Amino acid sequence: MGWLCSYTPLELIHASGFLPYRIVGHSYPVKNADSYIHPNYCQFVKSSIDIAIEGGYDFLEGLVFVNSCDAMRRLYDVWKKFHPPKFHYMIDIPMGDSSLGIKYLKNEFIKLKKALENHTNKEILKSDLERSIDLFTESRTLYRELNSLRLKNSTLVSGEEMMELTTDFFESSPTNWNKKIKVLIEEKKLNKPITDKPRILLSGSPIHDIEFIKFIETCGMNVVYEDVCTGSKFFDLNIVKSDDLLNSLSRAYLDRSPCARMMKIEERVKNINEISEKFNIDGVIHHSLKFCDTYLYDVPVLKEMLNKKNIKVLFIESDGLGSTNQLKTRLEAFSEMIKN
Amino acid sequence: MVESNMLELYFTQMVSALKKKIDKNPTARRKFIYEIGRIGSRIFDDNWSIGWTTVFVPYEILNSMNVSGMFVEFFGAMLSSTGLSPKYFEISESKGYSTDSCSYHRTMIGGALDGLLPKPDVLIGASIPCNGGVKALKRIGELFEKEVFILNIPIEVTSDSIDYLVEQYKQMIDYIERETGRKLDNTKLKQTIRFNNQVREYMLELEDLCKHVPSPINSNDLKNFIMIVLLQGTKEGVDVVKTYRDEFKHRIENELDKLPDEKHRLLWIQNRIQFKTNILDILEKQHGAKIVIDELNHIWWEPMDENDPLRSLAKRMITHPLVGPAERRIKILMQLAKDYKIDGAINPAHLGCRQSSGARALMKDSLQKIGVSLIDLEVDCVDERNYSQGQIMTRLEAYLEMLDRK
Repeated sequence: MGWLCSYTPLELIHASGFLPYRIVGHSYPVKNADSYIHPNYCQFVKSSIDIAIEGGYDFLEGLVFVNSCDAMRRLYDVWKKFHPPKFHYMIDIPMGDSSLGIKYLKNEFIKLKKALENHTNKEILKSDLERSIDLFTESRTLYRELNSLRLKNSTLVSGEEMMELTTDFFESSPTNWNKKIKVLIEEKKLNKPITDKPRILLSGSPIHDIEFIKFIETCGMNVVYEDVCTGSKFFDLNIVKSDDLLNSLSRAYLDRSPCARMMKIEERVKNINEISEKFNIDGVIHHSLKFCDTYLYDVPVLKEMLNKKNIKVLFIESDGLGSTNQLKTRLEAFSEMIKN
Repeated sequence: MVESNMLELYFTQMVSALKKKIDKNPTARRKFIYEIGRIGSRIFDDNWSIGWTTVFVPYEILNSMNVSGMFVEFFGAMLSSTGLSPKYFEISESKGYSTDSCSYHRTMIGGALDGLLPKPDVLIGASIPCNGGVKALKRIGELFEKEVFILNIPIEVTSDSIDYLVEQYKQMIDYIERETGRKLDNTKLKQTIRFNNQVREYMLELEDLCKHVPSPINSNDLKNFIMIVLLQGTKEGVDVVKTYRDEFKHRIENELDKLPDEKHRLLWIQNRIQFKTNILDILEKQHGAKIVIDELNHIWWEPMDENDPLRSLAKRMITHPLVGPAERRIKILMQLAKDYKIDGAINPAHLGCRQSSGARALMKDSLQKIGVSLIDLEVDCVDERNYSQGQIMTRLEAYLEMLDRK
């Protein structure tokens, strides 16, 4: 079952008997997307519909969308119309700090549960959901354990490797992934530290291309935390189980470290600041995809707020298509600046 | 740094100039703009608190609490039509705001940064129609160190979702009371619903009149009529709509021969172009093509219940064509195309509008199926710096030739 946004309750999809599979689009110039949607949409949205139209996601049973931004709402409409999947659903997630949000989102999850049950003709039992919650909680715990190997100054694992593992998680069975990570953690502990380089926290729009992280690292820096919904931030979610598991899910997802769409910039800054201290960060690279309104609108204020906290920041706006000479020059200059 | 009294001067002059014109000849359009100007002036009146909002906020509640509000897109349109927006774009861009984002929002942020806007007492943003509007309000709120209240408009029409929005409206009322010290006057609120129902009746009559062939409307008669949201639930709003109704009725009954030739009847999708341009005059006068209906002027809502105002307001909001999936909106567009005997549709596909431009292929596909051709202008409706009238006219003329051949 395909999904796109990190506010999708994977546990529920998994409990219904589907393997959640993250749609990531591609990192090349789009072929046909402009005629289906609009050129002024981000690469993530355009490349996803590009692949879908050509049948590249036909192996999926269906798709679960989230009302996560204006572009995503239109992607849902276009996908449904021009390449209808067997199953589709849109979760309406509230933004801001409303006390009414948890109840509303729980209701949205109840509706998704019913839609999945109707589609599979099989009830999702409480025990199914609990097992899935336990499984995904284990994945998040393991990720954090592995990620802790980047806490020390001489990191034992690169940003590129971590992104590869994250991408792997988005496409694999969590049971198998968990097994693999357990072994890997022990192996990595024995690793030689990677050469000391300026330590970077990467924040901003979703990044689906490992090459992008690799590119930053080839410019003389180590990415030690990906504060993006396709990286470390994705695993920053804690489900506290209760008798009412859907309520637990709703609370956990609404309380997760917010993306820019949630309109909580103070919390974003607070999180970046705390992680920067914990991971002994030398600088922050904030990347916004072109046409990604929610992140682009945060840039000027985020810069001011982080500068006030003496955090050095480099802002990049790109279409996420990998390297350019200009970007290389800016990254190398930033690396030089934070070394001093 | 300019002073916000520039804005006060603008509205004061606008109101006084229009008052003189209305005294001589009280046309509906003049009355409409006059009332909007009067609301603009009110933000400098101590009897009123100031609210900056996005467009889909229930102004009936604000009006019942003596909060004089204005929405972000109104500001964008106003600054663009007065030719002031380039200055504010430059200010916002110099602060790092991307030129790819919506120019309605960027120009207001620039204005706020330059001191054009008086300090708001409340800021209220709704999740629909777009994220950009809420973001712009957040940034303005930070400048003034004021909290922004966010309304999450549910995308599905259910009894639960209406309850949810009602609860949010109650919280919004608490927020306004907290920030301004002003209480909600329930009698006033009830009265706003009565006025809304009167507006609805007149608007439906007005819509029927516009369906007449030839239509009594000229392309710019109801330009930017979305601004009527500022007059929601007021007797002035009722008067404006009634005057339009009377005027159009009079035209049909007495002045049909004075109306320009009507070769093509057009539907305009979403907002108009806000800066000064005569493209619609050229279309109307030289090509006999006129806008007979703007998508955003359509009345989609059922009569409201004055005994349950919040629920009525919530229901009207959630059933809005721009809420929810694009199918809902497109269904209305197709209905309008049929009802108004439309030949063609113009979609500006405002650059930077992520909530709308992505639906352009869906709109084109659906309208084509009922024989209505749609043209996307791909124009920035507020930022005229890259506007090329020649290019747009060439495309529109080619489009009209195509309609001629049909």
